Amino acid sequence: MEKFRVLEIKKSVFEDNDREADEVRKELKEKKTFLLNLMSSPGSGKTTTLMRTIEALGNEMKIGVMEADIDSDVDAHTIASSGAKVIQLHTGGMCHLDAGMTRQGLEGLKADDVDLAILENVGNLVCPAEFDTGASKNAMILSVPEGDDKPLKYPLMFSIVDVVLINKIDTLSCFDFDFEAFEERVKKLNPAAKVIPVSAKTGEGIEKWADWLRGEVQSWNA
Amino acid sequence: MHELGVLLEVVEQVTQVAEENEVEKIQKLVLQVGELCSMIPKYMKKIYPAAVDGSILEGSKLEIEIIPGNGRCRHCGCVYNLIEEKGICPSCGENDFELLSGKEFFIKEIVAC
Repeated sequence: MEKFRVLEIKKSVFEDNDREADEVRKELKEKKTFLLNLMSSPGSGKTTTLMRTIEALGNEMKIGVMEADIDSDVDAHTIASSGAKVIQLHTGGMCHLDAGMTRQGLEGLKADDVDLAILENVGNLVCPAEFDTGASKNAMILSVPEGDDKPLKYPLMFSIVDVVLINKIDTLSCFDFDFEAFEERVKKLNPAAKVIPVSAKTGEGIEKWADWLRGEVQSWNA
Repeated sequence: MHELGVLLEVVEQVTQVAEENEVEKIQKLVLQVGELCSMIPKYMKKIYPAAVDGSILEGSKLEIEIIPGNGRCRHCGCVYNLIEEKGICPSCGENDFELLSGKEFFIKEIVAC
């Protein structure tokens, strides 16, 4: 006769990721590597903004970039042309990165001597917000054409980030983007979030963004 | 396909528990899923056979218990279901609440022989 038994596990699956993320953060702190998790929807200008960021900070700190995509290495090629260290992570269909994948990415990047590591997360405003990657700070980009109502539609994303870049402000005349309403919606979800308008295309506002990032990297690596 | 990645993580954790307890075959896996968590039970059931393929869970049954998404109104103290009431307190009409449950995602138990 078969004997059955019930094994009680009672374990939170997401808790494991949170624990691993904390470990990744601790290791990064020891190695003096600041990790920025950059999130946005597809086409908001993550890669172009990264190019500008590397241009602004590349000669004062060592920068490494991890490009996460479901497929292709288009973005990695673009970033490589800036001279920064770059690796491409393929998520194999997954819509987000978790702490375990981030750790693999950091190992692949050989990030030990990197001052600023940037993780370009999968273009998606939903799932990446649910998983702590172990980053020192979380940033997101929202571009003007996407509209000022996005904090209402993707509240979790806006509530977990430290900074929101509003990109493509050079296109403002073509769209009805209400800055005040947008900022109010963000602050309601996340009073501590910083909002910085930029245009990765013209370079407007990039200095302010670079200042913020420089300050964060310095205090993390101090 | 958010669910697949998370289920693969579940398979890994269950495999570990099974090894520790010298379990050879699992009949059933029971998960507890909050109504407000990002995992959709319908999709999980659909992709479960693919997620467990080749693992100790292959051929097992997936059972999902739903944990309600409840909140307590900060104004009048009423406890209500956030999805049914669309976040608005049915007793005083405010939408300022403290989240009590619904974000959980637990591996509850496995039935093995």
